[in-house]
Amino acid sequence: MSANVNSSTLDSALRNQKNQGPAKASKWGKIIGKVLAYIVVTLGAIMMALPFVWLILSSFKTLEEISLFPPTFFPKNPTLSNFREVFERIPFARYYMNSIITSVIPTVVTVITCSMAGFGFAKYKFAGRDVLFWVILATMMVPFPATIVPLYVMMAKAGLVNTYAGLIIVGLSSASGIFMMRQFMMTIPDELLDAARIDGASEFRIFNQIVIPLVKPALATQTLFTFTGHWGAYIWPLICVNSDKLRTLPLAIPYFSGQYFSYQNLINAASLMAIAPVLILFLFTQRYFVEGITITGMKG
Amino acid sequence: MSAEATTIPPRNGNERKYKWYRFQKASAPYIFILPGVVFYLMVTIVPMITGFWMSFHNWNIIRPTQPWVGLANYRKLFADPLFWTAMKNTLTYSIGVVPLQMILALLVALLLNTGIKGKKFFRLLYYLPVITPLSIAAVIWTWIYHPNLGIFNQIVKFIGLAPQDWLGDPAWAMFSVILVAIWSGIGYRMVVYLAALQGIPRSYYEAAEIDGAGNWDAFRYITLPLLKPTTLYILVTSVISSFQVFGLVNVLTGGGPLDATQVVVSYIFKRAFGDLQFGLAAAMSFVLFGIILIITLIQWKFLGKEVTYE
Repeated sequence: MSANVNSSTLDSALRNQKNQGPAKASKWGKIIGKVLAYIVVTLGAIMMALPFVWLILSSFKTLEEISLFPPTFFPKNPTLSNFREVFERIPFARYYMNSIITSVIPTVVTVITCSMAGFGFAKYKFAGRDVLFWVILATMMVPFPATIVPLYVMMAKAGLVNTYAGLIIVGLSSASGIFMMRQFMMTIPDELLDAARIDGASEFRIFNQIVIPLVKPALATQTLFTFTGHWGAYIWPLICVNSDKLRTLPLAIPYFSGQYFSYQNLINAASLMAIAPVLILFLFTQRYFVEGITITGMKG
Repeated sequence: MSAEATTIPPRNGNERKYKWYRFQKASAPYIFILPGVVFYLMVTIVPMITGFWMSFHNWNIIRPTQPWVGLANYRKLFADPLFWTAMKNTLTYSIGVVPLQMILALLVALLLNTGIKGKKFFRLLYYLPVITPLSIAAVIWTWIYHPNLGIFNQIVKFIGLAPQDWLGDPAWAMFSVILVAIWSGIGYRMVVYLAALQGIPRSYYEAAEIDGAGNWDAFRYITLPLLKPTTLYILVTSVISSFQVFGLVNVLTGGGPLDATQVVVSYIFKRAFGDLQFGLAAAMSFVLFGIILIITLIQWKFLGKEVTYE
């Protein structure tokens, strides 16, 4: 709700009183309210961003400076050597590649499988549709820990522990993705699809050439959510992987940090480089994702 | 329904072509849902059923046989004091994180919805922690909390409070974890609230204005009730995820010091992959699942009553 609305409520109440003085007072009230809002929001934003600001500034500090007590805020002799040294001291490129492989593949596959399934659930009537859909929604409530131990045993039996396949296979579809796509696609009018059918288009062509272009915001949102989820995935890789060669960034950086706590300058540079891809993706997709959240979140 | 209404053979199509047309039309829905549904159920329902079965066995991955032990795992669990410590810690964490996070998220959303300039920029800043991989955020915070080299103690001293060993002191460790959790989760909830606020028609406020309603009245009688479905959604999902906290704790404290931050999932982890007691860990997973289910149902029952307007 908005202070605009509130103050205009106040304004009109005062106008009704036909009184000049308090109308002025309400104008001041409005300004004070606005200023307060800015102060609170800005203070909050500073608290949110402070860890990042300190991280960025500190990733340009030398090892000597980072070990100073009390800590400095701005780097005295900014250096880029940390970013180079990370690649020399640990197989950072390898970890980065692992993260890219285990995030990009599941994201692409998930966006495809979820948009297909969403279309199936939104635009067709078939036996068992509603039961199946509710089963999928209900399993969203099952906590990940309840499946993780048996999942590990299953993967171990299938020989997929310590492989890329084992990391990738758990992320090829998602309930929330299916749900979001369904909600989006239900807004497409049936007449549009019927018109294409009358022209002789196959169901797959309709999906490909009519539906997909119409749900681009949903695709962008889902790409962001799925990629962010996989890029930050921690629990399953922690269980599935025990060889250093397969470590992804969310595993490698805490591990590195635990082993070489004193090299905080390198840890900072590594962390910053690890966050960069999701940040860039977010900047590109953020205009879609509020729409995506409106559709998934509210009707949860 | 639409597929039914338009079973029209393609003009000038021969018999074979028509058969293909009928086939692709009938099979299309199943082909569309198949990959998504199979991939999903394969890694959720199947392990869940397997896990339930495992919880009645003395399941050790190294031994060749996995004998049936009935409820022994569950009995062992309830007699384990560390399990209850983990339970208590999880509850503390949940109570510490969820309400404060929701209130702050709502507050920021309300303020951002007043037509503040730079809304997108603020939204980005608040959302930054959400997109940051949690384990990497935890690494950053480990350093922020460092008693000597970290910036947190500098801020604390600046405010005039006593510096602490935030993660190393059992008295402060849970507090420190909760603080990071709140920080990392406000943004998502704020955006959900923001989306909901934008869905409230302005005409409601105009009507209230005509009736002479003030600031507080409009908030109390229009905004808050209309946000109820969103609040319920955020509450339920936040409680569920708070009971599953693991990554943050594992990187920040590893469950320590002296089990001060040992939560249920980190204890499941320890039992399964530390002690290889998979049956016991599976049993613990199902106890956690049961608790989450009960709490969720209670929330729906008491708060979900009037949630269906529009």
